Amino acid sequence: MRSLVDWIDSRTGYRRLLHHLLYEELPSGTAWLFTSGSVVTLLIACQFITGLGLTMYYVPSPRLAFDSVRFIMSDLPLGWMLRGLHYWGASFLVVASVVHLLRVFFLGSYKAPRELTWLSGLTMLMVILGFSLSGYLLPWDQKAYWATTVTINIARGTPIIGEAIASLLRGGADLGALTLGRWYSAHVFLLPAVLVVLIVTHIALMRKHGISGPIEPHAGPSVLFFPWHVMKDTVMMAGVFASLITAAALFPAHLDEIANPIDASYIPRPEWYFLSLFQMLKYFPGPLEPIATMVIPGLAIGFLAMLPFVDRANGRHPFRRPRRLFTAVMAALGIGVIALTGLGLADRPPHKDRNDWGLLPIAGMLIATGEGNICIRCHENGGPAAPLAITRLSKDNEWLLSHMADPVVIAPGVRGPRDPSPPPVMSRFKAQAAVAYLKRVHAGDPIPAYVDDSVKLAALTYAETCVVCHRISGEGGTVGPDLTVVGQRRPEAEIHAFIEDPETILGEPSVMPPFGKRLKPEQIGALARYLATRK
Amino acid sequence: MNRLPEPADAAGRRGFLVHLIQGTYALIGATLAFVVGGAVVAPSFGRRESMWLHAGDEADLSDDTPLPITLRIARPDGPSEVVDRKIVYLVKTGSQVRALDSTCTHLGCRTRFNPETKLIECPCHGGVYDVNGTVVSGPPPAPLRAMTTRVDHGKVMVQV
Repeated sequence: MRSLVDWIDSRTGYRRLLHHLLYEELPSGTAWLFTSGSVVTLLIACQFITGLGLTMYYVPSPRLAFDSVRFIMSDLPLGWMLRGLHYWGASFLVVASVVHLLRVFFLGSYKAPRELTWLSGLTMLMVILGFSLSGYLLPWDQKAYWATTVTINIARGTPIIGEAIASLLRGGADLGALTLGRWYSAHVFLLPAVLVVLIVTHIALMRKHGISGPIEPHAGPSVLFFPWHVMKDTVMMAGVFASLITAAALFPAHLDEIANPIDASYIPRPEWYFLSLFQMLKYFPGPLEPIATMVIPGLAIGFLAMLPFVDRANGRHPFRRPRRLFTAVMAALGIGVIALTGLGLADRPPHKDRNDWGLLPIAGMLIATGEGNICIRCHENGGPAAPLAITRLSKDNEWLLSHMADPVVIAPGVRGPRDPSPPPVMSRFKAQAAVAYLKRVHAGDPIPAYVDDSVKLAALTYAETCVVCHRISGEGGTVGPDLTVVGQRRPEAEIHAFIEDPETILGEPSVMPPFGKRLKPEQIGALARYLATRK
Repeated sequence: MNRLPEPADAAGRRGFLVHLIQGTYALIGATLAFVVGGAVVAPSFGRRESMWLHAGDEADLSDDTPLPITLRIARPDGPSEVVDRKIVYLVKTGSQVRALDSTCTHLGCRTRFNPETKLIECPCHGGVYDVNGTVVSGPPPAPLRAMTTRVDHGKVMVQV
């Protein structure tokens, strides 16, 4: 064994390299502040390793991306933890990188001859933000889709070449499979390669010029990197890693509903680390927008990039001349980012309650899975289609609706072009309800365990009548008022009378026709009872 | 630069630190290996649950004449789902009904029943089986695989 190691060393000289790497002499007083870079390295390593696991299951196609992430989260053993680590790791990495940048700034470590070390680090921060941006498109959920739409529109605001940049980012005329493909490739191949090159450069430059050490040189002997400083690094890394594991275990990564390009009600919001930029957009409307998207971020990055070339005088203390000025600019920058992020967080739109099913999906559940349902004729074990329990929704609404009206259309050639279409197997109303149900199941919303008979009747009535004009919990028409919280406005008796004849309540004719004769009394009763509970 | 003078007990302290460092990295590595490795390895050893499928009716079978039946086996396929098709022969011999997997045991080609010779033949390398799946001639090393079968009120159920 010993001779094998000796032989490898004689052929590679790895011991000398290892010795060179580990037994660096650090200036006296090199302390805990100098562990921030190691923490960044650890987090990057974690992202590489967990990313490797995720790529085995992730499918970069709009049809399967969302399902593959859901598969990772719910079917794959430990998959939720794997994605949790990668998801939280991204946030930790952004924080750790900024902390490292601030450390280097406050200790004046960027000053000559370390200008290029600073620039390579700054580039790395941009690459890490690029990772974050490309990473959250990949799950192809609502957040992914809309945040990317906003990103691309911001890029389009660039003067002259904006349209070309947007087209390149999209990979086509519209956001879709081609966009996902290139962002995936960037996230998994291009950016990691760039990052590795930058890390090697950054560390090589750091070794070339040595660690900057404390602001004022300490008298005293130098310290060996290994094991005396490595121990401090290790303690910090262990602490950060333990926090990462805890965050991933306690707060599993979120997955929105599947991307829906026609859902205009969704309010896109980026991850917290882009929230300041997002919030700033609100204060620069219309033609002023490029100030928020280009000018201010450009000035901030420009300031950071030029710092070592502008700050050339001796003295590294952040609060003494001549560095006072730069510290003030940096503080202003930091306060601005924190304030905007805070404002953005306060401005959070209400969260959609996944347990609130409204009426349409409940009607759909009764139609698709209740007694006498027709789906099971084909969707069963050994039948021509997979049982509903394992069927994934990979088709759009129009396809699903026509499939439910005429199940045979999914197989071209089964019916000749001249054969007349048979009468619909399922009415359009029922099919819409069934689609609403399948979408909820597909989004992973918890299925209600028990539904009251009165609510069942209300649901079926709503799905055949009221849905045309009224919306509840995001589903239904928009001609009439949204009924999601109608119980706050009117008591049960009033709702009951309103459905029978709106004129008795309003005192004047209404657009809404009276339903007293069109619906049975028990239907109106069930509807009024249910709607009064919506508060 | 003059090096930190190593005190008398430095060797002991140093050795302890080295072990502590190695132990911490091993712990971090093991945690990552557990999560990533678990997620990578676990599905490799998952097996699909078996199910009983209705393959045909006993009344449709005639003695010693294999009836090829296509079974549709719907199963989850990672994030997606597929319907596999498997062809089995239902063979009735006296009161006993058996289901034979039509896959040739030699190299996995699909066999065919030849009604003239009353033998099951493999087109690839000339394997020949009789209607009970026993090898008559050719290279197959084993008889056709018999699948677990039961008859429920005249319905032939096959376990897949």
